[in-house]
Amino acid sequence: MDGMNYLSFAYLGMIAAIAVWTWTIVSRSRSIEERLAAVEASIGIDSDDADELAKLSDDA
Amino acid sequence: MRTMRGRSPEVLLFAGFVGISTTLYLAFNWAPSVSINAFESPAAQRIFYWHVPSAWAALIAFTVLFVGSAMWFFKRNTLGWKLHVAGSEAGLACGLMVVISGCIWGTAEWGTPWDWSDVRLNSFGLLTLLAIFLVLGRRSQPDGVETRDTFSAFGLYGFLLVPLTYISTRIWQIRHPGPVGGIGAEGSINGDMRFVVLLGALSFTLFIAGHMLVSMRITDMEQRLERAQKILDGGLEWTE
Repeated sequence: MDGMNYLSFAYLGMIAAIAVWTWTIVSRSRSIEERLAAVEASIGIDSDDADELAKLSDDA
Repeated sequence: MRTMRGRSPEVLLFAGFVGISTTLYLAFNWAPSVSINAFESPAAQRIFYWHVPSAWAALIAFTVLFVGSAMWFFKRNTLGWKLHVAGSEAGLACGLMVVISGCIWGTAEWGTPWDWSDVRLNSFGLLTLLAIFLVLGRRSQPDGVETRDTFSAFGLYGFLLVPLTYISTRIWQIRHPGPVGGIGAEGSINGDMRFVVLLGALSFTLFIAGHMLVSMRITDMEQRLERAQKILDGGLEWTE
């Protein structure tokens, strides 16, 4: 039973770690998305222009 | 507002996470036990259902890192740089999962978390260290062609460790157990165990694909944000 407890602890730790990692990266994506939308709106770029901007950014 | 297609990385992440959780449930409650005579710690052997699929996902991530590094280094392709960033971050996460789960099993089974004489352990450990270097190094440097060239070169050379890691237990079986699937494997696990491992491999593949897509989206948005901020600061002009 000690072995199963040890394993349960390890499994729970690892699943919690990947859940935190996933939450972190998705939150970061949303945060940057909101900042980008705000900055692009402030310089008067609509979504179509933003796509062009992305291409320019790639070429730079 | 993102469309369903735009949210496909999140869908992959969710599907992968559900699959990984299901794999762990089956590993605990359904997969058969191994012979108590063959292992010092038969219960700890079940960590294999996490360790092997995460190693599979790590090798996918390192392959993406290699392809992205080559695309950037030889073609200056920006998609290549996004793949490099995504592959290194996913490789680091999966590499740590493999190393940590391996150390947990090693402690229970061998009485030591690490064996410095085992080729598989050390080549995989070096791969993970390479991913740490790429992720932390990139974050501490200003983005530019020279920075990308340097890290892409490391990504290219580091990939030599992937085939070495794959064949190591087929050539030098020192302490790490032999292969349980793929070329050169003798099929040492039964059908139920194989099902759980394959479910785990599929789940980790979906999960890591979702992570890499989100990571590529973040890199893309960071570049757009940087460009838009330069326009805002008057450094660049936006012309329709």
